Amino acid sequence: MRVRISNDAVAMACGGEAVAAAFAAAGCAVERVSGWGMHWLEPLVEIEGAKGWTGFGPVAPGDVPAILAGTSALGIGAVAEHPFITAQTRLTFMRAGRIRPLSLDDYAGTGGWQGLARARSLAPAEVVAAVIQSGLRGRGGAGFPAGIKWQKVANAFGGSAAGARKFIVCNADEGDSGTFADRMVMEGDPFALIEGMAIAAHAVGAGAGYIYLRSEYPHAIATMRAAIALAAERIAPFSVELRVGAGAYVCGEETALLNSIEGKRGVVRAKPPLPALQGLFGCPTVVNNVLTLAAVSHILREGGAADYAALGVGRSKGTMPVQLGGNIARGGLVEVPFGITLGELIHDFGGGTASGRPVKAAQVGGPLGAYMPPDQFHLPLDYEAFTAADALIGHAGVVVFDDTADMGRLARFAMEFCAVESCGKCTPCRIGSTRGVELIDRIRAGSTVDALASQPQIRNAPKAAPSRAADIALLEDLCDTMRGASLCALGGFTPYPVLSALKHWPEDFGGDFGA
Amino acid sequence: MGYEPQADFGTPRIDAAAEVSLTIDGRAITVPEGTSVMRAAALAGGNIPKLCATDSVEAFGSCRMCLVEVEGMRGTPASCTTPVAPGMVVATQTPRLEKLRRGVMELYISDHPLDCLTCSANNDCELQDAAAQVGLRDVRYGYAGANHLAEVKDTSNPYFSFDAAKCIVCSRCVRACDEVQGTLALTISGRGFGSQVSAGQAGDDFLSSDCVSCGACVQACPTDALNEKAVAEIGKPERSVITTCAYCGVGCTFRAEMRGEQLVRMVPWKDGKANRGHSCVKGRFAWGYAQHKDRIRSPMIRESIDQPWREVGWDEALAFTASRLTAIKAKHGPRALGGITSSRCTNEEVFLVQKLIRSGFGSNNVDTCARVCHSPTGYGLKTTFGTSAGTQDFDSVEAADVILVIGANPTDAHPVFASRMKKRIRGKDGQPGAKLIVIDPRRIDLVRSPHIAAAHHLPLQPGTNVAVLTAMAHVIVTEGLADEAFIRERCDWDEYQDWARFVADPRHSPEVLEAVSRVPAAELRAAARLYATGGSGFGAAQGRKPNAAIYYGLGVTEHSQGSSTVMAIANLAMATGNIGRPGVGVNPLRGQNNVQGSCDMGSFPHELSGYRHISGGATRALFEAEWGTALDSEPGLRIPNMFDAALDGSFRALYVQGEDILQSDPDTKHVSAGLAAMELVIVHDLFLNETANYAHVFLPGSTFLEKTGTFTNAERRIQMVRRVMQPANGAGDGIGKEGLEDWQVTQALANALGLGWNYANTAQIMD
Amino acid sequence: MDSPSHLAEILAAHAGREGALLPILHDVQAAFGCVTGEAEAAIAEALNLSRAEVHGVVSFYHDFRETADPRPHLQICRAEACQARGVEALMAAAQQAAGTRVALEAVYCLGLCAAGPAARVVGADVGEALHARLDAGSLTRLIEGL
Repeated sequence: MRVRISNDAVAMACGGEAVAAAFAAAGCAVERVSGWGMHWLEPLVEIEGAKGWTGFGPVAPGDVPAILAGTSALGIGAVAEHPFITAQTRLTFMRAGRIRPLSLDDYAGTGGWQGLARARSLAPAEVVAAVIQSGLRGRGGAGFPAGIKWQKVANAFGGSAAGARKFIVCNADEGDSGTFADRMVMEGDPFALIEGMAIAAHAVGAGAGYIYLRSEYPHAIATMRAAIALAAERIAPFSVELRVGAGAYVCGEETALLNSIEGKRGVVRAKPPLPALQGLFGCPTVVNNVLTLAAVSHILREGGAADYAALGVGRSKGTMPVQLGGNIARGGLVEVPFGITLGELIHDFGGGTASGRPVKAAQVGGPLGAYMPPDQFHLPLDYEAFTAADALIGHAGVVVFDDTADMGRLARFAMEFCAVESCGKCTPCRIGSTRGVELIDRIRAGSTVDALASQPQIRNAPKAAPSRAADIALLEDLCDTMRGASLCALGGFTPYPVLSALKHWPEDFGGDFGA
Repeated sequence: MGYEPQADFGTPRIDAAAEVSLTIDGRAITVPEGTSVMRAAALAGGNIPKLCATDSVEAFGSCRMCLVEVEGMRGTPASCTTPVAPGMVVATQTPRLEKLRRGVMELYISDHPLDCLTCSANNDCELQDAAAQVGLRDVRYGYAGANHLAEVKDTSNPYFSFDAAKCIVCSRCVRACDEVQGTLALTISGRGFGSQVSAGQAGDDFLSSDCVSCGACVQACPTDALNEKAVAEIGKPERSVITTCAYCGVGCTFRAEMRGEQLVRMVPWKDGKANRGHSCVKGRFAWGYAQHKDRIRSPMIRESIDQPWREVGWDEALAFTASRLTAIKAKHGPRALGGITSSRCTNEEVFLVQKLIRSGFGSNNVDTCARVCHSPTGYGLKTTFGTSAGTQDFDSVEAADVILVIGANPTDAHPVFASRMKKRIRGKDGQPGAKLIVIDPRRIDLVRSPHIAAAHHLPLQPGTNVAVLTAMAHVIVTEGLADEAFIRERCDWDEYQDWARFVADPRHSPEVLEAVSRVPAAELRAAARLYATGGSGFGAAQGRKPNAAIYYGLGVTEHSQGSSTVMAIANLAMATGNIGRPGVGVNPLRGQNNVQGSCDMGSFPHELSGYRHISGGATRALFEAEWGTALDSEPGLRIPNMFDAALDGSFRALYVQGEDILQSDPDTKHVSAGLAAMELVIVHDLFLNETANYAHVFLPGSTFLEKTGTFTNAERRIQMVRRVMQPANGAGDGIGKEGLEDWQVTQALANALGLGWNYANTAQIMD
Repeated sequence: MDSPSHLAEILAAHAGREGALLPILHDVQAAFGCVTGEAEAAIAEALNLSRAEVHGVVSFYHDFRETADPRPHLQICRAEACQARGVEALMAAAQQAAGTRVALEAVYCLGLCAAGPAARVVGADVGEALHARLDAGSLTRLIEGL
């Protein structure tokens, strides 16, 4: 009997290897495929039967005999027909669950390399135009139109590439909590990323590319290494090299990432100059997120750009692979056109909390995203709509919290995370994040008289302990300073979670809030 | 007067042809394209607060104090990293900016010591200035939070200390060590709140690190974190005097910062044309010799050298000296007298010494240390180019595409210039730098050191300079790499053809000469091609001829065949058209601070000032008229010949100013025998040096801090030396009671000989 | 193989690579469990960087240690999604189980955000390193089994 089990990291972490071994021991032919992105069902197993493939999950080794005997209660029917899947518009994730990730045959058999072939038959400017037409915006978080960025790089040095080096750099440093889409692409459909990079290279005149992949993703590292070797001939003369990060979230910021590839401390660079003009090793460089580049491979297929642009709302065109995580009943990968509401994502797809308790908040966009209360769940997934509500989509990770969440503690964590990951270059983040932690502790516990300030030699400082109101005002000022003066989004956006927590759940900050 | 810190425009000056006009706080200003908004605002008279920006290094954008508002731009960009744009409208003082700046300042002060009043940077601290500027009144975070105040101060370096507790992690020091000095001894270790300036690796302090004590970091540091120990001990300077360093041929301009009569520190002057605000350890910190206890402060005389010295006043010393000189002259004739000028003293002082010898003693027995140093430069370049000096200024290195260093070790001997050379070699912003060829038997630092690697190192056998250069010429001529158009237009074509025939001879090929030079022929060919062509594809990529520059030093000149080598160098430059524009040329790295000037002033026995031969009647007549006396028309003795003549009894009296000839000149036994044979040796110097062992008269000299005059550096740039303190050699009650500058001593001696000189100041001498 | 020659092999393997420092440091960290001062100096020499520069880079990234720690290392994710699944409540028992025998470290996101709490055994094979859906019992068993 043929059995399919994912080798996606979630499946492995939930005991997938043991399940695969159990099926193999039971005499089945086990195929390792990419993950479907239905994480609540992992380890998800598909058995080939008379009526096609049937899914079961979550499977433990002890469930294997029942499954093989046809008596298991874990069946979910054909996975491809599961409402979780059918309600989605999977373009970037079209191959999730359906292929063996490192099989060049499976890739080619599902439309792989068509985008590259077509791109190479077009003039570079036409490829750029297609990406602009598609409306694709950077999926890493900044949401900058990808085609415009490519155009800048293509036109550097007056458009001529004579003697000039250019690079494609893929930002695979997916460090945001609540995000795993990049990881899934790299583990599940790595050739799509490589193809996208090769298309970008043709469009801008780049000869080489780098993938900067965080070291916390060992499965993705192994898979990408293998995929790069397998695809080398296909993408030649363009070549791709994998570079592994070394434990710095800030290296997800594009200029810190470039510094890291160059072998330097991962500190943020000032802009201007833009990486598009002066990026890796001083050369014009395209820096794009994994999802952005993976989307390119299907956008460049015949009609792909128009199809993509036909989806979405306003200026948020195409589909977004949303990642549902945290305290969520049905967590995983949901690729949908822009325009869906947060509530639909969390309740219709996600099924509310895993604990069954009420949803208290959702953090969208990673640790630098605002905490949103349920009364904001009507917001449509749209870059501009979220910005107008003082929130951000970022990489579209949605982390759900039930009512046991302490928002004050989470606000403190936002500052703490900033302090741990701060590159240290700019003052608002370097010092501000540490002061932010101390301040939130002080607000929650109540402040005391400052020992030094109470000394007579210190004349200018107030002697009394600051009031709660004063400390809250100080926290807001600190957030304002970090928002307005930080060098990059790490310090600049940390105020989002902090202020949103303070605004919507002041009761979680201890003390008596005007009761 | 008063003490003003040097102006700091925040980001480096940009030289661009195009200009941009914009408005800052309602004021219109036009600046070169590429200038930062911060610099434009400073030039317009504005004052944007800043802590991490300083105009000796590139903008960094880390302190976030210099934010501005720009019409049409979102948010509040940092003015240091924002270039000007045509029609930009900038506001530098708005309520929003004030709030943000105060917010940032509040964070800084929440992690900083509070005892400013007893800090050695009090009133000389940019952090204080910024706090005052933004009107900080309260640090609402309190002082109980995490901080760096327990850090231990690093006092390992003798000249400055590093106090991490006062560091604001602006990275100016790290960037200065990288961009200005090129040593990269500093880094920031750790990250986030734990970021700290580190001098090297985990176990290093400043002394054990790669630091060369150039002081660039101290100068850049806005707080007391890096500060001169002298400031801590003496106090903040009250006034400053611009003067020129006396250590080497770079001729760095310094601000001597004084507190009363006491020198507190020497700070490089940003407008110094030779050093552009940089320094090395010597000029920056090693000036303590001026106030050393071993300085000789009063004249001393003795009848014979086996007697102890007797301290006397100036009047007695000069009378003694003059009477002895007169007696020797009367008995043995004027050619028994002579002198040696100093390559450390000012032009005016050197001029007076050679004038004294020529018009007072009556002979042309005058010479200078260049004799054993760059005299081959003088001869070689005069013969080839017509002037006894190099062809470029130091700025020229910034335009070089190929740099050839032969017989010089600039990172050790001319460190400030070497830093500029290294900066050019490293390139900038992804643009390639200059390629480097090193011809030296030693593997000098330039061959390979952090971020610097020579494209070719030719480790030749000592003694084969001419052979190697001839082999290079062979390659250039036989491979058709000579610049014929240039030679026809600017050189003597017939001479060139003779030379070309000679070097093209097969016996001068790299392959044949490898036997003597030990330089692998392929390497030499590659180096020659690189010098001549800039590397393959240069023309296509750059659309112009490459600029190739040669820098050479004592490895060329302090050598037999020195003059031939200099001429060979000049020929290479001419043959490839590398003369007459920035980035090219022949650059002798003159050693001493005024050796160029000393030669210019007529220190050679065969030439009057300006290298005019003494036998030339017209020139001699000019001087005779000017000086009111007849002059000897025969060239005099060179230094080595002075000792020969002393030994045969015809040379009997020597006036040595500012040179320790027994220490410096070759064949010590010969020198000491010569000195011992003389009847009268007058040493005019700061300390009892080796030569003084053989002296009968010791006239205490004055350091460069104690006199006014000019030095001429290796660029032939004449720069002012200004007196900052009273000479230390005041003695007696008569003349010289208040101390004498060296030229005043020479004049006093001349007058003791009845010459009636009455120069009131050195400007008159120069005029 | 002794350290200097192993290090020399690593350096040789990366010769000619642009921006080679981080790949080299990863290999050195993997081979020796740390990047020592001597290694920093040797790397600086090979890459023609200053010792200070290399040290600055090594000290910036959390993956590189100054001294080797031979104990088993378990990284427990403490980021928001795992917090939403209650990881903080598990920490006291985890520390108890780890004692001084096992080094517990915080990591911020392993990309298993719908299956938290999650942890990673540093240095384990790719197939065995990751653990998700941890609770007090399974986490304690995991630590005890290291």
